Formats: sequence, structure tokens, C-alpha cells
Amino acid sequence: MRLSSARLALFYAALVTVFTSALLLSVYLLTRNALEREIAAVVRAEVDDLSDDLRLGGIAQVAATLRLRADSWGRTGAVFLLADPDFRPVAGNLTAWPHDLAAGGTLPPESARVEFEISAHERGESVLHPVEARIEHLANGYWLLVGADTSERVGVLRRFGLATGWGIALTALCVWLLGAAYARRTARRVRDYATTCETIMAGDLTQRLRVDGSRDEFDALAVAVNAMLDRIEQQTSTLRTTFNSIAHDLRTPLYRLRVRLEEAQLRAGLPQDAYDLTAPALEELDRVQRTLATLLQIARTEAGGMTTHGDAVDLAALAANMVELYAPGMRAAGLDVALDAPEPAPLTGNRQLLAQLITNLLENALKYVPAGGHVRVSVRNTLEGVALSVADNGPGIAAEERAAALRPFVRVGDAAAFATGSGLGLSLAAAVARLHRAQLMLGDNAPGLIVHCEFPAAARRDAPNGVAQVT
Amino acid sequence: MHLLLIEDDAEAARFLAKGLRESGYVVDIASDGREGLFRATEGTYDLIVADRQLPHFDGLSIVAMLRKNGKHTPVLVLSALGSVDDRIEGLRAGGDDYLAKPFAFGELLARIEALLRRGNLPEVTTRIRIADLELDLLGRKVTRAGAPIDVTSKEFQLLEFLARRAGQVVTRTMLLEAVWDLHFDPQTNVIDVHISRLRAAIDKGFERPLLHTVRGAGYVLRDGG
Repeated sequence: MRLSSARLALFYAALVTVFTSALLLSVYLLTRNALEREIAAVVRAEVDDLSDDLRLGGIAQVAATLRLRADSWGRTGAVFLLADPDFRPVAGNLTAWPHDLAAGGTLPPESARVEFEISAHERGESVLHPVEARIEHLANGYWLLVGADTSERVGVLRRFGLATGWGIALTALCVWLLGAAYARRTARRVRDYATTCETIMAGDLTQRLRVDGSRDEFDALAVAVNAMLDRIEQQTSTLRTTFNSIAHDLRTPLYRLRVRLEEAQLRAGLPQDAYDLTAPALEELDRVQRTLATLLQIARTEAGGMTTHGDAVDLAALAANMVELYAPGMRAAGLDVALDAPEPAPLTGNRQLLAQLITNLLENALKYVPAGGHVRVSVRNTLEGVALSVADNGPGIAAEERAAALRPFVRVGDAAAFATGSGLGLSLAAAVARLHRAQLMLGDNAPGLIVHCEFPAAARRDAPNGVAQVT
Repeated sequence: MHLLLIEDDAEAARFLAKGLRESGYVVDIASDGREGLFRATEGTYDLIVADRQLPHFDGLSIVAMLRKNGKHTPVLVLSALGSVDDRIEGLRAGGDDYLAKPFAFGELLARIEALLRRGNLPEVTTRIRIADLELDLLGRKVTRAGAPIDVTSKEFQLLEFLARRAGQVVTRTMLLEAVWDLHFDPQTNVIDVHISRLRAAIDKGFERPLLHTVRGAGYVLRDGG
């Protein structure tokens, strides 16, 4: 989570840097172009003026004009030089024809644009100035050089470049810092929310997402989620009240029925056949009561927010306890039962409900696996948590029936077993598993059924705390 | 023995009181929480049977208020709320026992008896004798007529629980709670198989059986009848 938002921040920083660089670079290039074009235009205008002079008054006129402008270096940075065909200066403010443009034998063509440096004396020091100039080869073999000092331009561009570089670097830094801070804040709030959601899923429906009053989109989300949670909590509480009312309203008449039947049984001098008639009725009543209890237990477990005492439970010891309870009955039914739980398997949960889960799986095996079959209960510590599995070599459940088998009142297999089961055993087991953030999975033991349930390590770390108060 | 029954369901109260009186108890009935709390505080009862859902004060509040006032009369809570959590909650609230409606009258009777006789046998007992059956609680050994009997550790726990309550009816759910720490009823009668194995171990080959089944209620370990 944090990784991805940090990566996003970095990505945005890079993006902003690229765009800022592109923008500033084009401004730089445009500015440089404009400066260069301006100098070129000034030089060309000068050359045109001097060409007019040449046409009107010949070399002498040009030389006269140049003498008039001899001091222009100091004012405008303009550079002039009229030289004879042998490059000897005739007029202008340069003391000599630039060496590298003459001596090397590479005579410039009729008209060329050149760059060179001149040395100027300023306040007693000799300073090099870059110059950009045009050279015109005049008709009579004379050379005319008109140029401009570009040191100003170079300086401007250097400062501009420097400012641009710093600007880009600072922008990148700021964007990155802001992005990282924002990413951290985002990650923290999302983590906050995730933790709260975990607690809520563990059954504490009173928890709410934090609203920090910043009115940002996270607050908006938190407010919406909290409103949803209020609604769910209210519904859950209504459901719980309903369950309790159902429990009360159905159990009370069942209880009175039982009371009357028992009263009849206890009547002195009751004939044996009357007793034999009422006893099965009582048994039937007990079955109705058990089904009701299981159904209510499923509903309450599924509704969440029920009291899951955060007991420390050793699932291995609990499985051993349950196997010990069922082993004699299973052996009497011709089943061989084995326990494979070599080491303690600690988790946090509701011991009674976990015991009920194992009980239901064992009762199912007892009900469906024919004599001579094997049942194997195993509890293992895994990397993710604790894995429980109950496997048998009975008839199993066909792949297409497995999902349905976990739903209430669905019975699979033969009619005899159908008659005795309430059809709630597996759905209660599945509900208990879900309460402990595990999923009950039915598989093929080839042959037989394997019920596998992996309790996540999270169930060890955060104890689901008791919340529901039934009054 | 003087019992207080706090139950707002008149029909149920009448039947329970009748049954309890027939079993030799003196029974007072309170029909709501306020009257129940008043009688429980003022009177001297050996045991209180309180419904959990009552007008005015519920059963658990009555327990809490009694305990706060320093009254330690055992309280058996009856409730139409029968989930595992309700049971555990009831016991944690200070109730001495918890019974979910509907229950068999025999179950109630056995539990009342167990609560009343609780503490009669000192916990430090090291040997229990019933007729010629002898339990060595330290060595975890069983002998009958001097001959050692092999029992598993769970069978020993079962036998010890029955022996400590020799002569009293012990129900299946009491055994499930005490020996296996399970507070719900399994669908099948798993306890019966354990009992028949235990019976085979201690009674087989002896003329006088000690471990008896009480119809509609449970089991009892006693000498004769």
C-alpha cells in the first residue's frame, strides 16, 4: 500500500520535472533565438548602411563613416573594421584583422558570418569578448567586418540557463516532497481504515472510521462508510433482538409442551404404554429444540457482532478432546478414528463454537460413513495460521453438491441419514469458520469427503473481542 | 431444603414447584424480578432458581445485586436464550449454573441437587469408596474388590465426577460440561457409549452393579438399587 503511493509520488515528481524542463527549455531556446536574431539584424542593418556608403562615395566614404563611429564600441558594443585586400586595417575600431580569419589561408567567401574573440582594455585589464560578425568582401578587394559584442547575450543566456536548471531541480524536489508527504498521509489513513475494518469484521460493530475534520475526500469516504456502518449496526441489533424474541417466543411454548408431557409421565400409576407413547414425543421435542437452537446459533453467528470470547484456544488440544469424546461411539459404529495433531496449534476464538464445528464434522462422519470406514482428524500449524481437516473414506459429496451442502437445510446422501440429520450441521460449521475468518471447504478425499478449514494467523493476532450484550 | 423459584411464566412455575415439592423441597415462588430480588435478599434460601428474562429485573441482574450485597446463595439461571454464548455469559455473570429452556425436569433436579451438595466433599480427598469400588485420586487408580481395573484417563475423570456425587443423579449434559468442557448438546448420545464402556470396566463380572441409568435423567453411581 505505502509502496504503491510512494511510487505514485515519485512518478508524479518525474512527470512534473519532465514537463517543467520542456517548458523552460523551450523558453530558453526561444530567448536565445530572439537574441541571436536581434544581433544578426543589427549587424545586417549596419552592413547595408555601409554598402550604401560604398556605392555613393567609395571606400573613402566608408572609411569616413567608420571613423565617425570609432567610439561606438564603448556605447553599443559594435565592432567595425575596413581592411585592404591584404587585411591591413584601413578604418574601424579593431586594431587588427582577426588572425584566425586571415592568416590560415581560409579566406572567407563573399559574405560570411563569423565568430571570434577580441581583447578589449577595460579599467587597465585585458578582457576577452566574444564577437559575432559578418565579413563582406567588397567589390574592389577590400574587406569589411561588421560585428557586435555578444558577451552580454552570452551572460544573459548563462544566467537564464542556470536559473532554469535550479528551477527544474527545485520544482522536482518540491513535487517529490509534497508527493511523498501526501502519499504517506494517504497510506496512513488507508492503513487506519484497514485496521478499523479488521476490528469491525472481527465482530466489534461499534468501531468507526476516523473523521479528522479536514473535509477532504477521505473524510467524505469515512463519513459515508460510517453511515453505512451505523445502518448495519442498527440492522444487526434489530436482527439480534428478533432472534432473541424468536428464541423466547418459540422456546416458551416448547417448554410448556415439554412440561405437560413430563407432568403426564410423572403421574402415578401411568400405564407403561402411555409412557411409551409420550417418551418418543419428548425425544421429538428435543430434536425440534436442537434444530431451533442450531438455527439460531447459525443466524447469530452469521449476523456477526456476536460474543466471540477472545479465548486462547489450542485447536490441537480441542480436536484431541473431541476425538476422545467421539472415538468410543465411532468404534461402536465400526469406524476407525485417528487424530493427527502433533503440536499445539494456538489461535484466538470462541472455544465452544470451534468445538461445535469439530463436533458437527464428526457427527456427519458418524452419520454418513459406513461401518469399516476411516475418519482422520488433523490439525497443523501452517505459514498462514492453523489448518484443520476432517477426512473420511465414506461416500463423500459430489462436486456439484458441495456448495449446496453448506447451506442450511440441505441434506445429501441416503434417505436414512436424511431422516436423522437436521441438515444444519455443515452450515453451522461454515458459519463458525466464517466468524473466525476461515473458510470451510469441502473436497474429494478420493474416496470420501475431506473438510478443510484454514484459520488465518490474523485470528491469532487480533482476538475477536466480545461485544454483543443480550439482556 | 428451601428453594426460591423466580419465574414469570405461571404455568411453568406451577409445574416446577410441584415437581420440586414432590422431590422433597420447600419452594417459594416469585413471579417477577422485583419480588424475586426482595425475597432473595430478605429470606434465607439454600438455592435460587431464577428465570433470565423477567419483568423489572432480569435474572442476571438479580444475581449481580445479590453478590454485591454479599449474598452467596447458589443461583441456577433458567433461560429461553440457549446459545453457547448466552450460557457462558450467564455463568460469567455470577450464576452458578445455567439451564436452557426447554429442559427435562430431571435435568433441573439433578443440577439443583449438585449445587446443594457442592462442597460437601472436601476437595482434598485422596480416596473415594463406593461399596467395594475404590478410587485413588492421587495415583489415578481404580480397584474393585481389591482387583485393579484399567481405565483411560478420560474414563477416570468420568468415574471421579460420578464418585464425588455418589448417590446423586448426574445428567449427560453435566458430564459433557465437566469432563469435556462442552456447553452444547451434540446430536448423538456420545456420552452413553462412554458410560457403557465404564460400566463394562467396573461392573462386569460383579453381582452388584454400581453404575445405574436413571430413566429420562442420567446416571448415578451408588451401592445398590
